[in-house]
Amino acid sequence: MTARKLAQPFPLVTPDSDAMEAARTMATQHLPGLIVCGEDGRPYTILPGSQVLRFLIPSYVQDDPGLAGALDEAASDELCRKLVHSTVRDLLPRPQDLDELPVVDVDATSLEVAAVMARMHSPVVAVVDDHDGGIRVIGAITVSRLLDHMLPTAPAS
Amino acid sequence: MTSVLVVAAFAAAYVLIATERIHRVAAALSGAAAMVLLGVVDARVAFFSEKTGVDWNVIFLLLGMMVIVSVLKQTGVFDYLAIWSAKRTRGRPFATMVMLVVITAAASALLDNVTTVLLIAPVTLLVCDRLGLPPVPFLIAEALASNIGGTATLIGDPPNIIIASRAGLTFNDFVVNLAPIVIILMVVFIGLCRVLFRSAFTYDPERVAALMALDEREVIRDRGLLLRSGIVLVAVMVGFVAHSALHIQPSMVALLGAGALVALSKLDPPEFLEEVEWPTLVFFMGLFVMVGALVEVGVIGRLGTLLTEAVGDQYLLASSALLWGSAILSGIVDNIPYVATVTPLVQTLVGAGGGAGQANALWWALALGADLGGNSTAVGASANVVVIGIAARAGHPISFWRFTRYGSVVAVVTIAVSWLYLYLRYYSFG
Repeated sequence: MTARKLAQPFPLVTPDSDAMEAARTMATQHLPGLIVCGEDGRPYTILPGSQVLRFLIPSYVQDDPGLAGALDEAASDELCRKLVHSTVRDLLPRPQDLDELPVVDVDATSLEVAAVMARMHSPVVAVVDDHDGGIRVIGAITVSRLLDHMLPTAPAS
Repeated sequence: MTSVLVVAAFAAAYVLIATERIHRVAAALSGAAAMVLLGVVDARVAFFSEKTGVDWNVIFLLLGMMVIVSVLKQTGVFDYLAIWSAKRTRGRPFATMVMLVVITAAASALLDNVTTVLLIAPVTLLVCDRLGLPPVPFLIAEALASNIGGTATLIGDPPNIIIASRAGLTFNDFVVNLAPIVIILMVVFIGLCRVLFRSAFTYDPERVAALMALDEREVIRDRGLLLRSGIVLVAVMVGFVAHSALHIQPSMVALLGAGALVALSKLDPPEFLEEVEWPTLVFFMGLFVMVGALVEVGVIGRLGTLLTEAVGDQYLLASSALLWGSAILSGIVDNIPYVATVTPLVQTLVGAGGGAGQANALWWALALGADLGGNSTAVGASANVVVIGIAARAGHPISFWRFTRYGSVVAVVTIAVSWLYLYLRYYSFG
């Protein structure tokens, strides 16, 4: 099966998108990340869910995860309020640390898609169509979608 | 001719270490390699000579303590202590700072300074976050307190370990001679904190509830391990105190403690070796070979004779010069290579004085100068550099000058008080 058939509609965000909205989209649609497009509509990086957590969790808790145990639910709510008035740009790593966007062409085979995911340690790849000299995102493939396609059907118990 | 080449190679390696143009480990190993190539050092001189070789007591004492710290870190005891003590102050900023710096100083006396600030800084950020306080003054105060507290014991700061091993001083010698002045210095330091960081002490009663909501019991990750570690740590401290009576070197005490903790903790090697700083241990080995070469060709002996003649019986003058000179140099360059180089010279001076009290006080002048001098600049001690890094990662950058502005005041005052202590204890009433 080609990437075109595997691809599913996928929400796109821009660096100026609201951070809270982006995080909510991930949560409600059970997505591992979001594709970030530039001003020109070209996709240029992935915002993984883990990066949202890195933004929310203070560095001192990341350095010493044991401290998380001392914090209660109210503190957790307080941390999540950091997303208010923030944009996707605030969530992204520094420009030099941005992950390269995993992209496959619409004609890529499922094995090619798997190879890109494995090489780039990404749970999602964008599927693009080179259309009249311009690149258009037609959707994305998540690792769960790919595995669902690749794995043999479980024997009936 | 060989002596000139050895001194030139030593100076070149020292400049590379001081300027950090290449990694200090590479610089020290290059210096050691140069000594081998010059034909001054062979395997016997480097590995088996007590006088000119690698000081294995220092290396294995450091290794043992690093393993002990690796296991203690897994318990969460430092987080517990910091949160518990901050809650006892009910969020009053100055009282909170006092508690945190006292914990830091006490921990630094028993453990490595860098490890102490690495353990205490994250929980300090948490406490400041809860109280809405600026964390920078707290972090700077902790770095300074770790350097003061580490001065108190043989194991508190690497220069003390070198001095103890080379001078044959015991754990109790350090406690008797340095712990009293460190307690005085901590009182002075707390007074300085009140003045230097006064703008940080804004009390917001509404934020206190957020601090009191922290549950310190939750940060203890393994109660059984905490109990076992506590028992072993107490045994290790008893071993240090009694090591001369038991005729067992501090390095052996540390290694036995480390071995006991490894056996009792059942941790995997990556966990109990987590805090072992292999580059630091290799750096020490390179340094010992470099300094040993100077001893081997007689440079240290000649310098020692010159110094002995110059000093005569003017031990107060020598102590004062050693204290202030060591402090200034330690603010600029790493105090470990400095102490490793100066120790044989001080040994000669003390030997010329017949090991009498006034001559022996030179060791305490060296330890106080080298340890406390690290506070004078942002790069004067490893603990300072580590704290600055943690603060930057947490979004609270500390500039070189900001740290130095506070550190230099603390260094000058603590060294002046130390000079007074040396004068009164060893030269006036000694």
